[in-house]
Amino acid sequence: MLCQPGEHTHLIFNTFSYYLLFLIPSAALYRLAPGRLRPWIIVLFGSGFFLYFAYGMAGFWGAACLLIFLWESLVSRLYRPCSRWCMLGIVQSVLLLGVFKYWNFFTGLMFAHGANPVRWQGAFLPLGISFFTFEFYHYAWDRRAGKTEAGTLGEYLAFILFFPTMVAGPIKRYQDFLPKLRSKPIGWSQDWERGITRILVGLVKKFAVADLLTAWTNHLSAHDILLADRRILPLWALAYGIKIYADFSGYSDIAIGSAQLFGIRVPENFDWPYGRRNIQRFWQCWHISLTRWLIDYVYIPLGGSRVSSPRIYANIIAVMLVSGLWHGAGLNFIVWGLWHGLLLAGHRLWRQLRGEPSNHPVPVFLSRVLTFVLANAAWPFFCMDLHTAILFYRRLLIG
Amino acid sequence: MLSNFRATLEYLGGERDDAPQLLAGRFGGLARCAVWVLAIVLIYAFCGQSSKFIYIDF
Repeated sequence: MLCQPGEHTHLIFNTFSYYLLFLIPSAALYRLAPGRLRPWIIVLFGSGFFLYFAYGMAGFWGAACLLIFLWESLVSRLYRPCSRWCMLGIVQSVLLLGVFKYWNFFTGLMFAHGANPVRWQGAFLPLGISFFTFEFYHYAWDRRAGKTEAGTLGEYLAFILFFPTMVAGPIKRYQDFLPKLRSKPIGWSQDWERGITRILVGLVKKFAVADLLTAWTNHLSAHDILLADRRILPLWALAYGIKIYADFSGYSDIAIGSAQLFGIRVPENFDWPYGRRNIQRFWQCWHISLTRWLIDYVYIPLGGSRVSSPRIYANIIAVMLVSGLWHGAGLNFIVWGLWHGLLLAGHRLWRQLRGEPSNHPVPVFLSRVLTFVLANAAWPFFCMDLHTAILFYRRLLIG
Repeated sequence: MLSNFRATLEYLGGERDDAPQLLAGRFGGLARCAVWVLAIVLIYAFCGQSSKFIYIDF
């Protein structure tokens, strides 16, 4: 059985309550409702979804974070092309993320040699804040650049509160979402058959692959690393690599399938990343909606590839550091981002020196294996704190 | 055979919209039902120790 409602509200997509209280009734109502009511059905169920799961995870104050959505949506009505209100929207979205996610981390670094006098004891992370910050930011940026229309308040709230993608993406774009919201959903039976199939595939990935590997990945702790035969350590890291792929691609499948029940297509997030022949292609196929967001809103504003060669390398590394820090407030995530930044920079340099890669089957196969190994070798920094990850590598390489 | 298998995986994974031969032929409806049944059996068999999705914490 899936988990019972109220028993583990932090599980979300693997609970009956998600399907019975939110997804099925809202998707059915959405399809039956007239056009002007459809955004408000998403707003109503999206708010209920947030209150229900955020309260389960972080109590009253967690649920009260719904006010962030409402406040940000009201401010967004002031956005105009070239307007300062857009900059205010960008700054407030980043500040909110900074306070909730990074306050204790950065103040902890400032007071590294003693007790942190400004530590936030009751700190909690609002449900989905890392992802909805991206959507707030994107809308404000694109409104400022005149790349998207304002839409109505209901349409914007529906974009932000569309619960299948609210918690962990895929990260949507307003200009892609709006036409789908405005068009009448057709092909009910086909959408539901495809959507339910996609949800089932996602649940199989989660239950039969990701959760099964937990028996191995649970060993990734200082205690077990010290006791284990070092030859088993790469297998634990590999297990985590497969687990996180099955877990997050399964999650994305469920989100995409859920959106399809509404007749709304949202971006894909994965495209067989582990089979790619270089690290650049890996990132084009792993968490695709994040990679595209980082390119559009970090890499290109930094100058992208239109600056001097050293700046390009610095930009690549900076983007991956941002990616690392976004994944978590910890030094290990910064090292993980740096690892990938250096790999991407190294790959670019290699391509500049050696030109186009060979299409001979042997080098193609070897480059796929190398990409797989290098991408997986970074996971210990992702899933363990820095000291434990260093211990892992010390045990693995030195003994 | 292999290309049909790959097309089926791509269809199930959402990479393609048109159903492959295996799921679209005369017995396509039956095959799609079998996929659902298989998925539900796997979910039922393995759901006993489910944990939080990793990215919910981010």
